[in-house]
Amino acid sequence: MAVIAGRPKRGALLPSRLASLTDSRAGSLAIFIVRRILWMVPVVFFVILITFVLMHLAPGSPWDKNGGRQLSQTVVNNLNARYGLNKPVTEQFWLYLVNVLHFDFGLSYQYEGKTVASLIMTSWPYTVAIGVISFLLIIPVGVGLGVLAALRQNSRVDYITMGFATFAASFPNFVVGALMVVAFSVLMYKATGGNFFLPAAGFGPDDHLVLPVITLSLLPIAFTARLTRASTLDTIRQDFIRTAWAKGLSERLVVVRHILKNSLIPVVTTLGPTFAFLVTGSVIVETLFSIPGIGRSFVVAIESRDYPMILGTTVLFSVIIALANLAVDVAYVFIDPRVRLTE
Amino acid sequence: MRLGTRIRAISLVSAGLFVVSACGGSNTVSQNLAPASQQILRANNGVEPNSFDPTQQTYTYEGAVGRHVFETLLRPKLDNSDVEPAAAKSYDVSTDGLTYTFHLQTNAKWSDGKPVTASDWVYGFKHLLNPALAAGYVDPFFDTTIAGAANYGTIDVSSASAIDAFLNGLGVSAPDANTFVIKLQAPAAYFKWVVTLWQAAPIRKDVVEAAAGGTFASTDTTKAFAWANSATTIIGNGAFKISEIAAKDHVTLVPNPNYWGKAAILQKIILYEISDGNTAYSQYQTGALDMIGVPLADVTVVRNDPVLNKQAKLIPTNSNYWISYNGKKTPLDKADVRMALSKSIDRTKLVNDINHGNGAPMTGFIPKGMSGYDTTDNAQSFDPTAAKALLTKAGVTVADLSKLKLLTRNSTGSKTTNQFLVDQWNTNLGTSIQVDVIDSKTVTSRIRKGQFDIYGLDGWIGDYPDQQDWFDIFQTSACHSLNWGCITIPGYDALITKADGELDQVQRNKDYLTAQKMLIDNAVVGFMFQPYEYDLVKPYVGGLSITTGDDQNLPGDLRWTTAYITAH
Amino acid sequence: MALPAVAVEQLVDWEVPEKQIGLWADAWQRFRRNRLAVLGAALVLFLVLIALLAPLLAQFGIIANPLKQNVSNIEAGPGQAGFLLGSDQLGRDTLSRLMFGSRISLSVGILVQAIILPIGLAIGLAAGYAGGRIDNLLMRFTDIWYAFPDLLFVLVVVSVFGPSLLTIFGAIALVSWVGLARLVRGQVLSIKEKEFIEAARSSGSSPFKLILKHLLPNSLGPIIVTVTFGIPNAIFLEAVLSFLGVGIQPPTATWGQMVFDGYENVYSNPSSVVFPAIAIGFTLLSFTFIGDGLRDALDPRMRR
Repeated sequence: MAVIAGRPKRGALLPSRLASLTDSRAGSLAIFIVRRILWMVPVVFFVILITFVLMHLAPGSPWDKNGGRQLSQTVVNNLNARYGLNKPVTEQFWLYLVNVLHFDFGLSYQYEGKTVASLIMTSWPYTVAIGVISFLLIIPVGVGLGVLAALRQNSRVDYITMGFATFAASFPNFVVGALMVVAFSVLMYKATGGNFFLPAAGFGPDDHLVLPVITLSLLPIAFTARLTRASTLDTIRQDFIRTAWAKGLSERLVVVRHILKNSLIPVVTTLGPTFAFLVTGSVIVETLFSIPGIGRSFVVAIESRDYPMILGTTVLFSVIIALANLAVDVAYVFIDPRVRLTE
Repeated sequence: MRLGTRIRAISLVSAGLFVVSACGGSNTVSQNLAPASQQILRANNGVEPNSFDPTQQTYTYEGAVGRHVFETLLRPKLDNSDVEPAAAKSYDVSTDGLTYTFHLQTNAKWSDGKPVTASDWVYGFKHLLNPALAAGYVDPFFDTTIAGAANYGTIDVSSASAIDAFLNGLGVSAPDANTFVIKLQAPAAYFKWVVTLWQAAPIRKDVVEAAAGGTFASTDTTKAFAWANSATTIIGNGAFKISEIAAKDHVTLVPNPNYWGKAAILQKIILYEISDGNTAYSQYQTGALDMIGVPLADVTVVRNDPVLNKQAKLIPTNSNYWISYNGKKTPLDKADVRMALSKSIDRTKLVNDINHGNGAPMTGFIPKGMSGYDTTDNAQSFDPTAAKALLTKAGVTVADLSKLKLLTRNSTGSKTTNQFLVDQWNTNLGTSIQVDVIDSKTVTSRIRKGQFDIYGLDGWIGDYPDQQDWFDIFQTSACHSLNWGCITIPGYDALITKADGELDQVQRNKDYLTAQKMLIDNAVVGFMFQPYEYDLVKPYVGGLSITTGDDQNLPGDLRWTTAYITAH
Repeated sequence: MALPAVAVEQLVDWEVPEKQIGLWADAWQRFRRNRLAVLGAALVLFLVLIALLAPLLAQFGIIANPLKQNVSNIEAGPGQAGFLLGSDQLGRDTLSRLMFGSRISLSVGILVQAIILPIGLAIGLAAGYAGGRIDNLLMRFTDIWYAFPDLLFVLVVVSVFGPSLLTIFGAIALVSWVGLARLVRGQVLSIKEKEFIEAARSSGSSPFKLILKHLLPNSLGPIIVTVTFGIPNAIFLEAVLSFLGVGIQPPTATWGQMVFDGYENVYSNPSSVVFPAIAIGFTLLSFTFIGDGLRDALDPRMRR
């Protein structure tokens, strides 16, 4: 029983050696974050290594054209010489690493004369804008629907949420997006004589955002809602909740104080990578709505074997996913129900 | 047939308009013009150009920009019958056919006001032919024609002195400011067409060097391309200039105020880069685009729509599609087998049902609209009975054929077409050939190595409407580079080399016709159909002179200087 | 006061499973009583039956040959030209292709999850339970796995090993397991420190039993949701593979490819997209019902 009355055990969430280093919660958290950021270096290294190997294993060269006149062998040789592709692969790898340490991500093969860094930096803001707005929509709607469905299990709300979730998961988002464009762009244009309709493509800080954000958010909202519902159901049945009911606490208090915080662990776990994916771009939404972001340019880079673009975008993504997962782990510390139980 | 004459009629009418305006000297073309602030044409170019340096461009979506910003010495006539003056007001060819003297337009100016001089042309050609820059269109157009360029492929690109020596030895010179001379290695009747290619553009040395921060070695590619990275430094001699480049979204063109020729009526052209066909179609319907290429899936919808089908234009293209057979794989080494396969495809169904009527079935090589188009040889026409007989004659069984695979690119169009082809063979011949769908890059790398049985649909879009551009594809030397199947016919190479250099046009056409029959009768490839483009253009867009050479989904773009928006 | 009561109740709670031998038998009973769960199971059986019987039905002419092209009747709508559900871009019967497509798509959807489940569980459990260095190493491993480009990985795997069904399933599974592993780890972390676990551990129960009897049933909900959502995800990944040119070759029908191919016709023939999506939705719904029922059945606290 000493376990209950004693200090909360932190060893599970932090590297065990740290627990003894300091009593201060903020202090150990800071050290934790710093260590994790240091761990990003080997992670990014291995990501670069694996991507490098994959790129050079993939059949097809950057200079093969998809139709019509191919480049002559001399031109191909010259291009390979220009970009150092005629060097042994290991040498190319080390050269790339050295350049990355100087924040030089090389020149794009496809867009002659442009640096990978400048290409990414001009495209990324669009992707981030749409991604962040979608994320800010997903959290309240997804979690909210999920909690509601759980509290009112087997009611109409629950079934409607389940139906919506099924729909969102069975129709890939480009289909939903295309159907929405047909409905809210073209048909609305025809119905209102061109006076009121949503734009079918393009990016802008106005109603151009509506359809892309909805298309991007549908599946994550559905998944988050179902996940929250499942996790909330698990939590509701736990006894400390029963105790709270028994004590006669108002539903809202119980929900917010106890249920939500306890059921959020799995939700937060998936929201981290979801954020990372949203912010590094959905190729489908960007292609469908013709948004000049990096999601689409990444897939184009893979299709055209633009190695530096592939590597540069992958490095960016690996940093973001590592940071997102770090944020998730930090969030665990704040959500950890153990803290609540002993207070 | 009807479609062809309709197109010619449009171009004739537009040419008439052009003449009227030039004589009149003002823009009072009888149409009801919209005010200048609304003279904006919004079209979909589909893809962002990889480079804005015209010498480095290769795709039609790059040409869509390059052709407007830079003007070549000559340009094709609207009906493709010959060339006509453009940046050069006239040209002379020496009697031995080796020297071309171009007399430049005397009042030609760059978009920044400076005069276009012959030394700009010399610099442009040298920029194009610099081996270190590895321009895609040099071979075979410029290195096989221009004197001194023959060893383009062997220059050491790491040595600036070797490159400079090569460039200074090229047969391009500027005897005076208004005369540009090109010397050839050998007579080439088609060279007048080569200079209509938009890569053969003049380039401003001072602009390039200013953007590069000073003079630079010929080996430095980054500095050589620096000027093409921003709209303000892309100085061209064409009718338009770039006012804005929004990465991956659009390119905006405005008229070049210093253009020597007749000023454009349009005040702005916005070329969007929407890659999804349905999205472009939605944009057209909501009035955000003025012209689009209709996605294949929506052709029937457009045809059946009473409003839209009046805005649609069916335009023949200067191209042809065919099936490639690998001559190194048994039993495809036998001409009879290849002929049997070619004769088992119902091209009418292919064009009308699979391609929704956007094309004309072909059993010949040169498409309609080009000189050399000939319908007399029907050896490859659809006849399953004859096809089976050929197989028996060749002693090849259905089982032998069934192990073959049809290499297919991973696009929806390719997959659909090729599943149809395979179904035709299996139904009409009783085989069980299958498709092999592979990622596009891998397909290219495989056909380059000859690792395929049958490949479809291969095709060719003419670079210019001269037969030389076409027949070179099937030379023996083009094995693994364009002649994927590596099928050669004795006498073919010699015949087309003779025709390429032949100065007598009548004899030339005769020789090419013989060569065409060689290709058809030996089923070097299985000719399928000439694709037509199906575009939608808003009724308020006028003055379009549509030709088969226009860039994809941009009807009339070769002559957008005459296009205008009517009040609406 | 609240705390001791909770402690006592949890002790009692912890003891009961130890005495019960028939956890699974009891779960089965409760599952059977859940009407939606039974419905879900019946629907899945129905789909499996269709998948198994499709070739037979085609042979006897009850349904059309899914490979037979009818190019004069491309993109027919439902009920037109004799096609009950319409036809596709080559005039093939949609209903027949849906039924034949279930063979591949159900296999992909279900088998991939069957591969992912043990991998994700094992890694997630190991990381969460062990904590410390092992957790760190495993989680950095998942960071790396998340980050490198899936498209490229799949392209390479399939070009190296050939596009057989096994490679495709394997490739899809390999790019999909990470989310489940991280989820399981999160669940384990949050439950590991609960008192009844401490109590169990201090009483000498082996860690393995602990994991099976306590951690797993208590964290089932989100795991089940992840696995069920993974089914349509895998079906679409197969279509993406095919879109890349490394998937199952045409003319074999799969639901995912039918949706992708049908997308082009969203203006001219929306049913070519809607019907395969409904089939996928049907499958997802069935497994959702089963999943919910399973979780309710296995939840030890429900047995009160």
